[in-house]
Amino acid sequence: MRAIRVAELAILAALAGASSANAQTGDENKDLDRIPDLAAAPVAASPPATSGGGQSLYLENAFTLNATRSGFVVAPPPPSPTPWQELLFLDARKAWRLDSRLSLTFSGRLNLREEPDIHFPGQENVRLDLREAYLSWTPVDGTFFDLGRVNLKSGVALGFNPTDFFKTRSVVEPLSADPSVQREDRLGALMVRAQRVWQGGSITIAYAPGLYRPTPIYSDLDLPSLNPVFDRTNAADRWLIKTSITVHDDFSPEFLVYHEGDRTQFGVNLTQSLGNKIVAYAEWAGGDAPSLIDDALSYGRETGTIPQAAPSVLPDDPRRSFMNRLSAGLSYTTQSMITFNLEYHYDQTGFSQADWGDWFQRGQALARYGPATAQLWYIREYAQDQGEILSQQSAFLRFDRTDAFVHNLELSGFVNVDLYDGSGLTQLSADYYLSNTFTIGVLGNASFGDRRTDFGSLPGAASILIKLARYF
Amino acid sequence: MKLRRIVAALLIGAALGLPALSASPARAETASDIVAAADKVRNPDQPFRSTDTLTEYVSGKPKNQNVLTVYAKLDPVTRQFRNLILYVQPPRDAGKMVLLDKRAFWFYDPASKASVRISPQQRLTGQASVADVLTVNLSMDFTAALVGDETIQDSEHKDRHCAHIDMHAANALATYNRIEYWVERGTSNPIKAKFYSDSGRLLKILYYRGFRESLGRVRPLEAIIIDAVSSALVTTVDFGDQHFQDVPETWFQRDYLPHLQGQ
Repeated sequence: MRAIRVAELAILAALAGASSANAQTGDENKDLDRIPDLAAAPVAASPPATSGGGQSLYLENAFTLNATRSGFVVAPPPPSPTPWQELLFLDARKAWRLDSRLSLTFSGRLNLREEPDIHFPGQENVRLDLREAYLSWTPVDGTFFDLGRVNLKSGVALGFNPTDFFKTRSVVEPLSADPSVQREDRLGALMVRAQRVWQGGSITIAYAPGLYRPTPIYSDLDLPSLNPVFDRTNAADRWLIKTSITVHDDFSPEFLVYHEGDRTQFGVNLTQSLGNKIVAYAEWAGGDAPSLIDDALSYGRETGTIPQAAPSVLPDDPRRSFMNRLSAGLSYTTQSMITFNLEYHYDQTGFSQADWGDWFQRGQALARYGPATAQLWYIREYAQDQGEILSQQSAFLRFDRTDAFVHNLELSGFVNVDLYDGSGLTQLSADYYLSNTFTIGVLGNASFGDRRTDFGSLPGAASILIKLARYF
Repeated sequence: MKLRRIVAALLIGAALGLPALSASPARAETASDIVAAADKVRNPDQPFRSTDTLTEYVSGKPKNQNVLTVYAKLDPVTRQFRNLILYVQPPRDAGKMVLLDKRAFWFYDPASKASVRISPQQRLTGQASVADVLTVNLSMDFTAALVGDETIQDSEHKDRHCAHIDMHAANALATYNRIEYWVERGTSNPIKAKFYSDSGRLLKILYYRGFRESLGRVRPLEAIIIDAVSSALVTTVDFGDQHFQDVPETWFQRDYLPHLQGQ
């Protein structure tokens, strides 16, 4: 009797379960109500499998308003930043396959610009940035030879790349202060590059010949129009050898040796994931080098910007010693898909706290703008032209979020802080994808800090840029 | 008395029938077996290439379309797919690539010509994550428990008799913390899945559909993904131009990415 009762209960339970399951599956079927009428969808034309790969063409209009500072401790050189700039450019990246093993790559940007301090119409209104133009040959799979103007980039950090040895003088007129965005429009160097990639790593050897004498730093007002400005990228013989080795699934260090003129530098790139949300990375370069001050002043004298006989405005020391550069950081992605990058930057060649003290003290003593203050500012222009950071120590925090608040809105921003004086530069940008082909965006940046600080002493205080891009 | 007879008959029937059913090779024995069988329906063992078209619907209207080329290769050790995903459309993203190989994930942008290491969490950003998740062999990354048999409607409102399976992440590589999964009895066709976050929040509802012959057997060639967080968002995926293609090991080196355009 007892057994029968148990069986009865089992049946009742099974029936109850079935009815519960039916209730659940009823709920499950409610999910179907959220599926739209697919018949209304455009019929997706199946694209050729090779279309689109790495090729792009877009037209962008960017209008910028700038705000300037006044009341400088060290009078900046003329001209002051333009109050506004209107820029229309056509940006193209294209590759042609000449046969199964040979291809031609082109990458460039044609700019039409107008601002109050240039004559219109004139050659200053037109500028062609020839980023890349090279021939590639793949004799066997995994082996590549490139000849021509090639953009060779290295480094795993976002804010500062000590191992990106070919970055010097390569950024022409950046629209964004974000270092990771500036990489998108920079000039390659004329070079021959050989690369072999195998299952456990790769090796790259590149040689860029010195074909021109070093030229003075360009200002926004004397940028050549159609000249490919190889003098910026090929003013010295340069060699790079780099290799990466897969130690295990999660760890593939990269080692670099770079030689330019009479200087040799070594570099390492490391990345490692820490759990599901964090990636740690570090980038180091080191070698015999002079300080930034000495390097800048000797370059100025070599190019005639600073008279040979002019005394150095800051204490200089032509001796070289082993100098380290480091960028170390973490990326962290939240559950809501916001990615943060926090980095510490160190450049031993850069300004120490004592150098900053000298810079302001010397500049304040000179009071008015003249050859000596020009030297002071030249050192800073040189660091920017070389793509190096100015202060020895700085911190960098960047965030990026796709589909922020609303669908198709991408927000990104960063703050770069000088760790000696707390001054910094911050930027926020928002891009909204109106459709697959149109993007509208706004970008604003501002520098902060008092008059005797790295960023607070800059002539430019803030800017805002509005852009509209049409992709083809 | 009558009830006793019914109960007895049921018990005898159960005693006779269950062993017979369990001996049948056609029956998916355990939840893990069911998931593994559905994995085989979803993806082949051989390396293959697929051109996936993703259409996003916002409030029922088609808004964006992404086209991705996916190169997938099964890792013989982990039995998990290693993926190379190339953005073909929209034009603003063309040429971007995501390399997803075991625990090393890289994002390559042809504009900056730079490869950036990304975390397992960050791999879920962007549409490439959809293509990636759709090749995951669920039986490798999740423990599975059978909830019971249910008849649910598929995306075309047809009744499907399914095994309802509850799955939980078994290792750190698992893309989601928990998945509810409905697999059709008899065919092992995946019908529906629900994806949950670490906090138990429902993130996505996925329906498989368009079962047709491809890559050597009948497979789902379409999927519908309902975003449970952004209620207005639905994404459809069409797996087109599928064919077996060898994917050399060198392609999974990050330095190979710049050379992959248009392979």
